[in-house]
This record gives sequence, structure tokens and C-alpha cells, in this order.
Amino acid sequence: MKHIIGQVFRSGKFLVGFVMFMAIVLTVVIYPLFIKDEPLDIVSRGTFLPPGIYVNVYDSIEFSPRYTLILDEAAARRIASKLSHEDRLAMQEWLVAMGVPPNKIDIEDTANLLELWENTFDPTARIPGMTNADRNYYIRLNSALDGLLATEGATVAAVNSETGVLEEKDVIDQTDYVNVGEVPNIRLLPLGTDNFGRDVLTELVKATGVSLTIGFVAGIIATSIGLVFGLLSGYLGGFVDDLIGFLNNLFTVIPPLMLAILIAFSIGQDQRGAYTVAVVIGVTSWPWTSRAVRAQVISLRNRDHVNLSKLSGHSIAYILLTDILPYIASYVVMALILQISQGILTEAGLSILGLGPRTTDVPTLGLMMSWAMIYQAPIMGIWWAYFPVIVVIAVISFSMNLMNTGLDRVFNPALRE
Amino acid sequence: MSRVLLEVNELTTNYITRFRENVYAVDHVSLKVEEGRSLGIAGESGCGKSTLALSLMGYYFAPLHYSGGEIIVDGQNITGMAPDDVRKTILGNEISYIPQAAMNALNPTQKVIHFIEDVIQAHHPETTKKEIYELASERFELLGLSPKVLQKYSVELSGGMKQRTVIATSVILSPKVLIADEPSSALDVTSQKMVIKMVMDLMEKGIIKALIFITHELPLLYHVTDDIMVMYAGQIVEKGTVDEVIFDPIHPYSKALMGSIIVPEAGLRDVKLTAIPGTPPNLKKPPSGCRFADRCKFVMPECRAVSVNLRDIGEGRAYRCIIPEEDLRKAYKNEG
Amino acid sequence: MKAYRNYYLKKIVWFVITLQCAFILNFILPRMMPGDPVAGIVARMAQGMSNATGVQAVYEQYTELFGTDKPMLEQFIIYVRNVFHGDFGYSISQYPRTVADVIKSSIWWTVALQFPAIIVGWILGNTLGALSAYLRKGFDNVLLPISIFFSNLPAFAMAIILLVIFGVSLKWAPTSGGYGFDMIPNNSWEFVWSVIVHYQLPFWAIVLITIGGQAIGMRSMAIYELNADYVKYARFLGVKDRKIIMYVFRNAMLPQITGLAQSIGTMVGGALFAEIIFSYPGLGSTILTAVRGGDYPLISATTLIITIMSLVAFFVLEILYGLIDPRIKAAQSE
Ligand SMILES: Nc1ncnc2c1ncn2[C@@H]1O[C@H](COP(=O)(O)OP(=O)(O)OP(=O)(O)O)[C@@H](O)[C@H]1O
Ligand SMILES: [Mg+2]
Repeated sequence: MKHIIGQVFRSGKFLVGFVMFMAIVLTVVIYPLFIKDEPLDIVSRGTFLPPGIYVNVYDSIEFSPRYTLILDEAAARRIASKLSHEDRLAMQEWLVAMGVPPNKIDIEDTANLLELWENTFDPTARIPGMTNADRNYYIRLNSALDGLLATEGATVAAVNSETGVLEEKDVIDQTDYVNVGEVPNIRLLPLGTDNFGRDVLTELVKATGVSLTIGFVAGIIATSIGLVFGLLSGYLGGFVDDLIGFLNNLFTVIPPLMLAILIAFSIGQDQRGAYTVAVVIGVTSWPWTSRAVRAQVISLRNRDHVNLSKLSGHSIAYILLTDILPYIASYVVMALILQISQGILTEAGLSILGLGPRTTDVPTLGLMMSWAMIYQAPIMGIWWAYFPVIVVIAVISFSMNLMNTGLDRVFNPALRE
Repeated sequence: MSRVLLEVNELTTNYITRFRENVYAVDHVSLKVEEGRSLGIAGESGCGKSTLALSLMGYYFAPLHYSGGEIIVDGQNITGMAPDDVRKTILGNEISYIPQAAMNALNPTQKVIHFIEDVIQAHHPETTKKEIYELASERFELLGLSPKVLQKYSVELSGGMKQRTVIATSVILSPKVLIADEPSSALDVTSQKMVIKMVMDLMEKGIIKALIFITHELPLLYHVTDDIMVMYAGQIVEKGTVDEVIFDPIHPYSKALMGSIIVPEAGLRDVKLTAIPGTPPNLKKPPSGCRFADRCKFVMPECRAVSVNLRDIGEGRAYRCIIPEEDLRKAYKNEG
Repeated sequence: MKAYRNYYLKKIVWFVITLQCAFILNFILPRMMPGDPVAGIVARMAQGMSNATGVQAVYEQYTELFGTDKPMLEQFIIYVRNVFHGDFGYSISQYPRTVADVIKSSIWWTVALQFPAIIVGWILGNTLGALSAYLRKGFDNVLLPISIFFSNLPAFAMAIILLVIFGVSLKWAPTSGGYGFDMIPNNSWEFVWSVIVHYQLPFWAIVLITIGGQAIGMRSMAIYELNADYVKYARFLGVKDRKIIMYVFRNAMLPQITGLAQSIGTMVGGALFAEIIFSYPGLGSTILTAVRGGDYPLISATTLIITIMSLVAFFVLEILYGLIDPRIKAAQSE
């Protein structure tokens, strides 16, 4: 046993897969110890906040010491962040139309562009082919730029509770800074928020845990059924074999997903907890395990030690458990791993169809995917709502596949190349 | 002296396994086959007979590699020839081959005639299908096979039939030399006799000019070939005519082989049933001295110390042992 | 010939029995749930439908369709008879359309999308697998990991990745629908072109999903065949390498047909997700709307249709395989 485990871990593929898988499992276990937020808590109003560090504006004005930093680039950066690429292109178009040689315009050089603009822009100028709407756009753009170039600070005012009059409280200069470490309220949202305003990372970690559990339960159910059926049909043969073979073929040809959809729908949304879904997946996905186990058992059932056991009058259960099971144990482990990763994918599929676990208890990878799809995150470019989920799913299934390939090479030397 | 159709000098070939280990399965083998003669090669399972058979054709692909020696086919030295030229001019044409596993030698999803077309057109691209069909049915008939076989898939043929089809296909181009690698060993006794008869007929009917017949049963060669080479662990340990090697073996291994009985039963071929105690050496790390030393009754300390050369004792007879031939003969006589 | 007859007879008997079982499962599963199925349907329907007369009409129709007051067996016979007449009742979410009508308008999209895509994916996958088996070093080192990666991606993930890269970022193809949203299906070139353009992303998503698994299967199959004795024999008789490779690929490819048959159910399932991601107007999207609208009759009918489609594909492939692989014939006559 020890020797086998040692050998397994010497297989590079298995090791890589194992490390990837354990990294995910450990994250799922350790993350909640440090971040105690509830995964389904809504932290933001408004949907799909992009990833980043959120600094409380009120706190930075009212509660944090202010520092003055003299940074040359500050003004240019500020302008650059306001001036979109489209605006720059529009400005270039105007300038060219006004006779500025195109080679003198570098739209990426903000200072140069603004200077050219200030010198050339004339709201009254008429450019052939330009509509009124276009002209209004340029005028708006120009006044926005005016504001950008202002150097005065901003005034903070508050309503005086006695007089009800707006009073100036504070002036914030363009050179004012706060130290993020001194702002009482900042929130890190490494993966932003989802359509409900939940912290995606916290939700994702929890969902990964739940999905792994679903995969595990489904995998164990499917493998158990498949194992029992495979053992019986392979060892007993005859009528039992025919019957199980028939069931087997039936459930292979009828798409398992269709069965799962029918069952899941019939159960109804309110009854569908994570475990129910796991059971549905488990009972619809056993056939190939059963077929594979059967093939293994058939190759074993006429071995000498099995015949010997038969001759000495052991019961069928005893023979199956002691003379056959140990020889196919490695195979069953591999089948289990595949079933688990398949189970996770099936859950995701069912959830996308709206047939996953009910949405109120726990998140799952499938449910997160499903919400992202409903809110059209991919089309709107909101990558943080769906891409991390895909990555987690892909890493889980890739790592399990690697582990399996590694095991296969150890246990089936014929495959070693 | 008649024409030498195949001459091989000090040929050495090796397998390179996927763990980058070398297996020297053919180690400095020399042989000569003259027109009209047949040579038997005998040895235990794993001694390199099949590898020698493949090596003799001068066409190598991974994991088998050429590592030294020369091959002269009917006066033409093919050692440095481009592989594709060897394929075109030598294989099937000059030297042909019956594989050991004739059961699986035919592509299961191809009709026999289509395979024959591919073989012939690989050498004579201009031949038409009609000509090929005529040639093939004529040849099949000559060898006692129904031309109907040509239209069948190999999966539709019985074991013996498959074997005979393979033999007929191998000689479709009337090669000068035929190498038959245990053509009969996987068959039942009746089919075995039929197959051996068929191979010998090829010589008589003039379809082939010389034969190399490989077997693990030394006694079987008595009715089949003119000369015998005994192989052990990749090396030739004894050479001579049939009568010499069978009735007067010199090398202790040949002697043991003659005494050993091998049950010719399908499926048991790989199970060692020989009476020779011990196992052959690992060819990845062959012992430095005599390779048979560990299993030899007459072993002496010197046997393991010096490597032994093939000792030529005249008229094509040779053996590989440091003990003089008379002493060995005397020892055998004493044993009874 | 007799051997063939037995083979097909067996297959056909199988087909009929499986078909019956599919019907029975489709019939029994909802009835295994506690409560009156019609009441259950109507209860769920009340959430999905605002039209009160519609609810009543559906209720009556389903009491008749299911015949819930009659014994089980009779109910089943009624159900099968209705289904054979193409009568699946009314759709709840799209009332007053009938289920048959909804399916009729989506099934051809699915057929036209999935079958070509799965076949192209199968061919490409097998070719790549064979190449990777033959060339090994180099090619193999690149292709194999890519294939493994692809085959590990769930279908919907592959579809989303294509959607984002080619639809959203590069804007090479539209991201949703079966044709331009501002068009009405007609025979104009413009419409055909729009259909072709909308076809691309879902098609390639399914192709890519299919390629991965097939390439891996084909590779090991071809490696096995390359080491077969007939390869060695043909080589030593001087047959050209090119010819030998054809033998190998053919022999490795043929069992892949059964492989395809075995996995057609799973593949169709996966392909439905590609449809959903691209809002393709096929059966996948129909299931999605049906689930969202609590439309049991539509779900039941769609799953039945997909099951039957997979069954038919399965048997066509099996029969095709029996015809072209002589090994089957030989095995049958033993
Ligand atoms: N493809 C290969 N790669 C590495 N080693 C090989 C390969 N084929 C054969 N060998 C080794 O080469 C040696 C000779 O094998 P070979 O098949 O020539 O023996 P043989 O005498 O024909 O045996 P048999 O009677 O079983 O056919 C053996 O030790 C075998 O293990
Ligand atoms: Mg051999």
C-alpha cells in the first residue's frame, strides 16, 4: 500500500494534478477562517462593481489627515483619465479639418493635444459636412476640457442644521492626498461584485466548496451504483448480466442530461437543495462506471485465486469483496475521480438551465454561471462575473483528469510509453 | 561453389527502449545462405531469433537500430543503402518474410487481394489490378489455396488458412530468400505439418531460391533444413549441417536444446517448458564472459572471465565454448 | 448474409425496446412525484402565466391528455397515442401555442446546427488524434495538452470563451440569435447570409468541444494500431508508409464510430449549452425558456424529442458501423 502511494506520487502528472486540486481545496477551507463575510451578503448597491479597492469618500474627506504632495504628473493624469480615446480621435478630426497638419498631431500626447486644441478651437467655425449635433458635441467637449484645465480646488459644503443654509466647510486642493491606511473604511473587492452586489470572491470560494461537495456526493453515488452493478453483472453473468447490461445500454443511449432535467424539474425548485441535485446527478450517471467495472471483473473472474476461493465454498459476497474488489480498487478510484469532476460539470449545466439547487441557500459554481448568463455578463464585458468561475471549473476538472492519467500510468503499465 | 544469395558479416543490431536502454538482441552474427539451401535457426524464446530475422532485411525502424556489420544480398552490399531503396528493391523482392504472429499479420479490414495489390504496386507501380489478380490467383492455386480467399477479409479466415495466406502473400514476388519466423508454432499439429510442407514446397517449386527457417524447437529442423545455427542470448553458439548439430551437438546449450522437450501448444509458447534449468541472461546487461555460464553444467571460473569467440572447426562448423570439442563429446558420452 | 441479418435484427429489437423505455421514463418520471401531475403543472403554471382563461384551458386539456382519472396503463396508452399524433398539448409559457408548434419551429435549428458540427468535430478530432499518434514528438507535445485542455472545458465554458473572444472583442460574428434580430425569415440572400453568419460561433463551439475528446480517444487507438503486427508485416513486405498509415487510421477510425454512437447522448447534451449561450433558436434555448416558464409539457416533449434524436443517431451509427467494418461481420458469424 505504502509502496503504491509512493509510486503514485512519483508520477509527475499525478503530482501536478494533486497540487492543483489541493490548492483549491485548501483555499476553500482556509479562506473562510480569515474572511468571515457571509458569501450571500449583498455588499453593494448597483450591480457588477468592477474589481478593485474601494475607498470611502466621506471618510477620506472628513476623517483622514490630509497631506500635500507635489507631483508633476498629477494634472496630466487627471486629464488623461477623463479624455477617452474616442474624444481624442474626435479632437484630431476637428484639428485636421481646421488645417493642422496630421503629422503634427499625436493623440497620445495629452499636453500637446490640449495645447493645439486651445489654440485652434473656435465654436463658431463651420466645417463642411458637419451636422449641428456634431457641433454641439464639440462645444460640450470643449467645456468639459475647460473644467479639466481648472487649477482651483473643490469646495465641500454642508447644510447648517440650525439655519438650513449651505455653508462652506472645507476646500480640497488638487494637491491634497489621504493615506489609504488612515481611511477607516476601505473594502477590497478583488473580483468585484455580481449582479446582486455580492462580493464575487467570497461567493466563489463558497460556491467552489459547495460544488465540490455536490461532485463528491454525486460521484460516490454513481460509483457505488456502478460498482455494485458492475461486480454483479461481471461476476454472475447470465441473466443478471443481461438485465444490468440492458439497463446500462438504456441509460447510455438516453442522454443522462435529459433524465436529470426531467427529474430535477419534477422535483421542483423549492425541494431542490444542493444534496438533492447531487443525488439526481448520481443516479443518472452510473452506467459507464458499471460497464467499466464489469469488463474488469470479467477479466478477473477466472483467475486461479478466485477459482480457489470458489472451490473452498466462500459466498459470492465474500469472493467479490476479498478476491475481486482489491484488484479493481485502483480502477474504481479512477472512475470515482472522473465521476466527481463530471458531477461538478453536470451541476453547472443544470444550474444554467435553471434546474440547479434553489438559489436562496448557497451559491454553486453553476448558479454563479447561471446568474452571469442571465445578466449577460459575457456580452457586457463583465469578465469578473463569469471568467473566474470558468477558470475554477476548468482547473478542477483539469487537475482531476491529470491525477487520473497519472494513476492510469502507474496502474496500467501497458499504457506507459 | 554455388551462388551466395545472402551473406551477413558481424551484424549487430539493438533495440532502444523508451527508457533509453540498449538491448543488443543480435550480437555480431555472421551467416551465409547459398542458392538451393536452407538454414535453420533455433534457440529459446527471447534469444533474438525474430530480431535477427528482421535485421537480416537491412530495413530498420524504431525501436530497432542498426549498429554494425554488413549485409550482402546476391552480391550487392546493401549496408549503406537508403532505406527507401531497400524497401523498393530488397524487401519482398529479394528477401521476403513470414512474421511470427501470422494470425494478426493481415490488416483485419482489408481484403487479401487489396493488400497484395499494395505489396506489388509498392515495387512495380505500373502493374495493373487485373495483372495482379491473375498473378495472385495463379500463385494461390499453385500453393493449393483457393483464389476465393483473395476476396475475403482476414477476419473471415481460419487460423491455418490465415497462415497459409500470409505465406502465399509473402512470396508473391518470388523472392530469392524467404525468412520464415516460426511459421508453424501457433498452430495445431495438423496445420503445423501442412504449413511446414507448404514452406518446403516453395523451394521445390522454385518460387524461392533459399530459405531461412526459424524455430524454438531444434529437433523440428531435422526434416526441414540443410544447415542449422543455434542462437543463445543474441549470439550464435553453434553452426553446422543438420546432421552435425542434431546428432553431434558440441555446445552444451545445443545439447540441452536437443534434450529439451517443448510442447507445441497454442498459447503456451511463451511459457518455458524446456528442461534447461535457469533463465537466459538479461540482454540489457549481458554478462561479460560466456553468456551461457550461469546455466552450464561444465562451467569453470575462466568461463566468466574471458569472452568466448565462435571457434571455427572447419567446413562451416563452429561453436562458442572454451572447452575443446573432444572433452565436451566425452562428457556427453559419460552422461549417457 | 445471415450473420448480417441477425446483427440488424438484434439492433432493431434493441431500438424498439429502448424507444419504449424512453417513452415510459418520460411518462413515469413526472408521475412519480407526489401529487396529481395536472394539478402540479397548473400550480406551477399559475406563476408562469397571467392569462386566467388560458390556465383553465390548459387544465382541461391536460386532464384529457393525461387522463389522470383513468388507470395507469390506460393513461400510458392515451399518452403514447397522443404523442404519435404529434399532440403534446399546449405550451404553458407560450400559450396559446401548442408544444408541437414550438418544437417544430426550433427542432430544425438544432438539427442543422448539431449534426454537422458533431460530424465535423469528429472528423477533425480524429484527424488530429491520428496525426498526433503518428508524428508523436513535437506535434504530440503541442496537440495533446491542447486537446486535454479542451476536453476538460465544459461545453458552456467553451461557448462563452468563443463568444467573448470572437463575438464581443473581435466582433467577427454576432453573439446571439439564429439570424439578425431585425429580420423576418424569408428566402432573400440577405437572410441566408445572416443565418450563415449567426451559425458560425455556435457551430465552432460545438466542433471544438467535440474535437478534444475525440482526438484523445483516436490517439490512443491509433498508437495501439501502429504497434499491431499487420503494420510490421506490411512494412517488411515493402508497402509504402503512406499506405500503411491509411490502414492504421482506417482501423482506428472505425471503432471511433461506435465511440461516437456511445457518446452521442452526452454530446447532444453538451451542444444544447452552446445553443443556450448563443441564444440560438433551437431546442436548447427552448428547454431554457420552458424551465424558466415552468412549462412542464414543453420540457417533457423536448427531452423526449432529444432522446429520440439521440437514439436514432445512435442506431444509424451502429448500423453504419456494422456495414463498413468487416470485423463485425466476422464476429457475428462466429
Ligand atoms: N520492441 C522491443 N523493444 C525492446 N526490446 C525488445 C523489443 N522486442 C524484443 N525485445 C527484446 O529483444 C530480445 C529478443 O527478442 P526476440 O523477439 O527477437 O526473441 P525471439 O527469440 O524471437 O523469441 P520468441 O521465441 O519468443 O519469439 C528479447 O530479450 C526481448 O525482450
Ligand atoms: Mg520471435
